[in-house]
Amino acid sequence: MTAAEKIIARASGVPAARAGEILYPMADFAMIHDGVVMGAKQELDALGIDRVFDPERVVMVTDHDVVYLNERAVARGAFNRKAAKAWGIKHFYDAGYGGHGHIFPMERGLVTPGTFYLDNDRHCTNAGGIGALAIRVGSEISRVLATGTTWTLVPKTVQLKIKGRLKPGVYARDLGFQLGKRLRPGGEFGVDIDYRILEFAGELDQFSLAARVSLCSTPTEMRAIGVFFPPSSEIIAFSKERAKRPFEPVYPDADAAYEAKIEMDVGSLEPQVALPGGPHKAANLSEVAGTRVDHAFIGSCGSGMYEDFQIAAGILKGRHVAPGVRLLVTPGSEDSTHRLRREGLLEIFQEAGAFVLPAGCGPCASGRMGLIHSGEISISTAVANGTGRMGAKDADLYLGSPATVATSAIEGKITDPRKYLN
Amino acid sequence: MSYFQWRLKGRCYKLGHDVPHAGGVIPNSFITGRFFDPKDLVPHLFEESDPGFHTRAKPGDIIVAGRNFGMGPKMNGYIAMQALGLGLVCESMPFLAYRAGIGVGLRVMTDCPSVTDICETGDELDVDFSTGLFVNRTRGITREFPPLPDALRDMVRLGGNSGWLKDWWKGQGKTKTA
Repeated sequence: MTAAEKIIARASGVPAARAGEILYPMADFAMIHDGVVMGAKQELDALGIDRVFDPERVVMVTDHDVVYLNERAVARGAFNRKAAKAWGIKHFYDAGYGGHGHIFPMERGLVTPGTFYLDNDRHCTNAGGIGALAIRVGSEISRVLATGTTWTLVPKTVQLKIKGRLKPGVYARDLGFQLGKRLRPGGEFGVDIDYRILEFAGELDQFSLAARVSLCSTPTEMRAIGVFFPPSSEIIAFSKERAKRPFEPVYPDADAAYEAKIEMDVGSLEPQVALPGGPHKAANLSEVAGTRVDHAFIGSCGSGMYEDFQIAAGILKGRHVAPGVRLLVTPGSEDSTHRLRREGLLEIFQEAGAFVLPAGCGPCASGRMGLIHSGEISISTAVANGTGRMGAKDADLYLGSPATVATSAIEGKITDPRKYLN
Repeated sequence: MSYFQWRLKGRCYKLGHDVPHAGGVIPNSFITGRFFDPKDLVPHLFEESDPGFHTRAKPGDIIVAGRNFGMGPKMNGYIAMQALGLGLVCESMPFLAYRAGIGVGLRVMTDCPSVTDICETGDELDVDFSTGLFVNRTRGITREFPPLPDALRDMVRLGGNSGWLKDWWKGQGKTKTA
């Protein structure tokens, strides 16, 4: 079995699961974010369903609207708090208590290697970075809240073997954009990634947990339902220190059935950007170097682990963003914000003229905060850069690694991060 | 168990490949505006390509679409199709679009290769979603396609996710201890 098949089989209480069959795996927990609690609660209330399957196994997070910017958001926040109370939710991480729902649960030991959970939001694929599996169920989250499961088509798996090592100054996000380009329909990998698991293999020891989490981002935008990294000994040790329950790391069998096997040599990859229009529109940064930047943002579930901010701070230390550029930094978790303060990185960001927003999705949550105006140009680590994602429809949204965004903010124009790396 | 019609007899309404949900199926404003009431959605189904479609559609009519139908995991357009009593047969659709259709109780068959080659808008079709049997009576063509999987039929029969939950709660759900 592939890793995903093993995890689904375990959760379904069956000895084996095969791609293509429909099973009903019990979620170790269900996760729901602040934007959709109201819809799910109202749907269940209307049916007279007044409880969740297990109040200890529901994780409610406030990450999309952390700072209420309109009355609707305030009302939703109040509704969500009442809902959490009515349902008796044990793991309710309201604004200021958790951070990004696809980041902090790994840091807090809720998501560990082998975990299986169901989520309303597709970016739950981040769980694959730590060797877990989470599946997006959309509006069927109401059924999951009520019953702990829903119908699940066991996904096919595509194995991607990484060859070679990234050069200094080239990061996981750079590779991610390039993977997106090759995974898209008609892309050079020649595979269909829709509702597939992308399972990584090969030279993975070069990828820290943060890098692995980053690599989950762009395949998800290309419609992968999951990404999976076999957990390293460092990751297992990391989880052991934090785990809320015992866990069992999962690895694919040597004779696992893959729909396709693809490989990529990453050794010659240069720093990338994603051009406006989509995270798969990867291009060598050099092609757009010098493009003016008005707005820069570091954060999101694609670049929200502590290490992402360490890399950016390393470049910003002793430097200042260019006049006219606003740099927004959104840590992935409250714990990260505190650690940034303890380790002096918060000061680096502030001295550099960046402003640090409360942990959560930040400006990546479709037009809620830190927006940009018509004709402006942004470079960010957001997960996606479709038209209008950060406000004006005629603004240009570029994506880059945290290092590229930090460097570009200092220079006021898109700049290769190797300028500041020795 | 109430009677549910798995077999639809009606006219074909043919669409091409790569029809997006937003714009192609229903105007984007109904998606971003979070409209889920069939009353709001029905008048706007296929509005951008065929205004007034809902006045001509009859229960039992079948939407036949090409590859990659309904891009975007949105359900608003499927709510309108389901309310009008329509079925959907397509060559392929993204899995999350399929999930959205099933979730609102729409009769859907996907992975029906070249189905758009064997029918035209207006043809009389007879499609059994429980067996996969697809008959074009106008042209005398019969095909066997993958039916709606057994495991998903309760969900569709009961009217989608909410209907399924209602039925579950009436039965075991209410008495089962949490």
